[in-house]
Amino acid sequence: MQQYLLTILILLPVVGALALVAHGFVSYARETHYRWIALLFSAATFALSLLLLTGGDAASPAMRFEQNVPWIGAINANYHVGVDGISLWLVLLTTLLVPISILSSWHAIEKRPLAYFASLLLLESAMIGVFVSLDLLIFYLFFEASLVPMFFLIGVWGGERRIYAAGKFFIYTAIGSLLMLVGIIALYYHFGTFDYTAMLAALRDGTAPAFAGSKEFWLFLAFAFAFSVKVPLFPFHTWLPDAHTEAPTAGSVILAGVLLKMGTYGLLRFNFALFPNASRYFAPVMIALAIVGIIYGALVAMVQPDVKRLVAYSSVSHMGFVVLGLFSFTEQGMQGALYQMLNHGVSTGALFLLVGMIYERRHTRMIADFGGLSQPMPWFATLFVIASLSSVGLPLLNGFVGEFLIMLGMWTSTALTGAWPRVVTMLAGTGVIWAAVYMLWMLQRVLFGRVTNEKNARLTDLSWREIGLLAPLLALMLYMGAYPSPFLNRSRESVEVVRSRVATPESGGSYTAENK
Amino acid sequence: MNLFFWALQTAPLPTLAAAPDVKFELILPELIVSIVGVLVMLIDAFTYRSNQRWLTGGLSLAGLLAAAASCLWLWDNPTGVTQAFGGMIILDRMRLSFTLVFIVVSALTVLVSMIWVEWENLPSGEFHSLLMFATTGMMLMASGNDLVIIFLGLELLSIATYVMAGFRRTDLRSNEASMKYFILGSFSSAFLLYGIALVYGGTVTAAGGAGTTNITEIATRIGGGPYPALVYAGAALMLVGFGFKIATAPFHVWTPDVYEGAPTPVTAFMAAGPKAAGFASFMRVFLFGFPFIAATTSLGEAAPAVHTVWLNALAVLAVLTMTIGNVAALVQSNVKRMLAYSSIAHAGYALVGFVAAGSATADPAKQSDAIGAVVFYLLCYAVMNLGAFAVVTLIARGGDRRTEIEDYNGIGFKAPALAFTLSLFLLSLLGIPLTAGFMGKVMVFRAALDQGYVALVVIGVLNTAVSVYYYLRLIVVMFFRERASAWDAPAIPASIAVVLVITVLGVFFLGIFPGRVIDAFRSVQQQQPVVSQLK
Repeated sequence: MQQYLLTILILLPVVGALALVAHGFVSYARETHYRWIALLFSAATFALSLLLLTGGDAASPAMRFEQNVPWIGAINANYHVGVDGISLWLVLLTTLLVPISILSSWHAIEKRPLAYFASLLLLESAMIGVFVSLDLLIFYLFFEASLVPMFFLIGVWGGERRIYAAGKFFIYTAIGSLLMLVGIIALYYHFGTFDYTAMLAALRDGTAPAFAGSKEFWLFLAFAFAFSVKVPLFPFHTWLPDAHTEAPTAGSVILAGVLLKMGTYGLLRFNFALFPNASRYFAPVMIALAIVGIIYGALVAMVQPDVKRLVAYSSVSHMGFVVLGLFSFTEQGMQGALYQMLNHGVSTGALFLLVGMIYERRHTRMIADFGGLSQPMPWFATLFVIASLSSVGLPLLNGFVGEFLIMLGMWTSTALTGAWPRVVTMLAGTGVIWAAVYMLWMLQRVLFGRVTNEKNARLTDLSWREIGLLAPLLALMLYMGAYPSPFLNRSRESVEVVRSRVATPESGGSYTAENK
Repeated sequence: MNLFFWALQTAPLPTLAAAPDVKFELILPELIVSIVGVLVMLIDAFTYRSNQRWLTGGLSLAGLLAAAASCLWLWDNPTGVTQAFGGMIILDRMRLSFTLVFIVVSALTVLVSMIWVEWENLPSGEFHSLLMFATTGMMLMASGNDLVIIFLGLELLSIATYVMAGFRRTDLRSNEASMKYFILGSFSSAFLLYGIALVYGGTVTAAGGAGTTNITEIATRIGGGPYPALVYAGAALMLVGFGFKIATAPFHVWTPDVYEGAPTPVTAFMAAGPKAAGFASFMRVFLFGFPFIAATTSLGEAAPAVHTVWLNALAVLAVLTMTIGNVAALVQSNVKRMLAYSSIAHAGYALVGFVAAGSATADPAKQSDAIGAVVFYLLCYAVMNLGAFAVVTLIARGGDRRTEIEDYNGIGFKAPALAFTLSLFLLSLLGIPLTAGFMGKVMVFRAALDQGYVALVVIGVLNTAVSVYYYLRLIVVMFFRERASAWDAPAIPASIAVVLVITVLGVFFLGIFPGRVIDAFRSVQQQQPVVSQLK
């Protein structure tokens, strides 16, 4: 059972999708059945994924629940999956967010529910696959395969400009990752295997051949480009506001909650561990782009007339923090970055859900159309404020822990020289202030004051279903903000494995412009 | 009669230099398919038209299955003979792998055409017998170890395909396609034949002996160098001739017109079958006829080997083919034309593997790896391409009318089975993981990277990026747009349903569990006689 758990997690949603299709053939199939089947399978996946928390030494950096079977003997590719402290939480985030987004689509999706829920389930298994793959070919496979269901989710069930947004999303992210495939094949010829753990082992005990000349430089770029588009790092972010805004609520939740994390996860897992010298070499560039993203995202978010677009731009800003933390190469910074990935998934997910709920009622997302919503909808207002404050980084809510750790790590970072770490930290700090400005200003205009628009006066408050699906996220915001150590303890050693590779130059491995 | 036999027995046999080693078992697949072709023609003459298509189609399928079985029997070479008919026919796994690909293509085409001949009210017997002869031609192109046999196979294939392209006699587009294909095809055959003649002239022995058309012999004779200019000219002309057949840029201009005008099932066949056959003999001639041989001229300099020259030319052709195919496909408004340009692009990807195989001629293990990658790629392309064209045939329906991209507007959820399978094939053509197309690209690019062709692979990958747009556009049109006019989903006839099931399963099988197929194809060089290397 142990070794099959991850495979079951990957396959269960696929089985769910097949069950949906099979149900579609039955004559008594009703449209309302589909959402129940989808919910059942995603809930079962979540329940099973909780088993990942059991078994073995929680703090150990070793891969757990490993399964390694030959896949294509001819090219020495294996089906190798496993979780460690880095991927564990991301898998759980995925399995938690999918049932929640299925619940959020309960009444919102009237058009072709079968295909919709099947896409969500297929997306879930691709996402789980990305986080647990330990073989680069399998990783690429899931990484690309996740595009297709998302493309359909945006394109079929999206807003008015959905075709443009879906096309842009697919083209940007697919093109971004193509060069990574070349990089993966090149790595295969370097190490003789696609297996990540084998590469890491060979690098650690020095049996791997050194990268000749500028090879590491180019390989880093091939991987980093794919991941930067996914994150998205400024200036590759332009697909994100369109995709987020046009996607259906569940699509935005998954996109922000999980898909963006594939980028930062990839940087942490593959770029840092496999190309430590190039990572250090490029750190200033990546940090600069992250800082630009933080400030630019926040400033653009401030002036958005559309709530959903505002939240989308806030993602650019928040993901900038994550990249910043990663490239600090300090324990606090990298742990904070990992934590911030989870925070962003939880709080931005909740924000998108809330925006979706108000959109279902009013069919508009324009800030100007609202005002004084706290009077007709007190529950909505309360939850919206909590989720926004979590996103802003109010102490005792989860956002604070992540951002604080990242800034702490950056302050002491050796990735930059001289006073730069402190300058960068201060610039990032302004990002937190900007976040408060755009979020609170938006809250003020949407929730408070008098009800100016007649249509808003009679809005019904959240239903029990809606409160229920937000409840786990809100509970997590409070819990993760108040008591982060259970999360951080599990990931500490795994992050340290990567950090120890990237933080200190290997003997003779200092990577400078001269030997590139 | 008795007198005749008596004469045979008593008359002294003419004393030939060497009696031709006739071994019919070595051409078993070719024999079976050509006999079936003749039988189908006879059935056509002696049965009523009304239910003929089941008979001719069924017989063709049975013949192809028997041919496949004979290929599998030959796979482990039970007779232990690798050459026959005076070295004209060769038995190795490269030939058998290609033959199996042709059989897959041909069988799927038979299935697609069964319903199509009914719609168009065409004689099924003629069509199926032509298809069988075309298949025989393709098989001969793979099994010929002699330029003459290869040319013979090519002509057999071409003449049958010219007729098939113009099979809808009353349709001007079909006529135009046939005419264009015929003129340009004959033109390219002439190039090839001229090339063969020059190579023959270039391989005369120092002692003044006659030249040769046997591929193994050519390699041996030019092995020592220096090379007569005739060999270069001959190789160049043959490169052009084969380039025409597999539609590499800049010899591709006939492709879009012919593919668009020809009846859709014929287009499906032409894009997958003859292209693979072209690769089979192209690779046979160039990899084994002009291999890499380290030689020096009489002056002690490194000889400018024919090998280096054709390899560089081929790399350039690969880049041009991929790029022109993909870029031109971007702006097409007709689905068949778009798929035609896409087929040009795919020939370019396969050429990347061919270049890798060429570069590895000194290392048989790596070479068979690369050849296997090309055959695997062509198999993947055949499966997904035939699947896509089966759907296009069905949507176009009688008279090939609905082939514009606008005709696909909003049909996604009206004909979900067709639209989802077509999307799967398009995603596979695009190379999305879990599909055959992805595995094919990985294998080909992997072989090329192994030989150090980083730039070629990067160009290939960037081309894939370009192709995202046009494959996706059709999916977008089908699923994301609404249909303004009324449209009834076509019913899926049983034979096409079978094709779709086979191709969908094939795309997933080759994409997820390609191991066994790749392993089989990688052993292609198992029985290829190795030319003695002059080092």
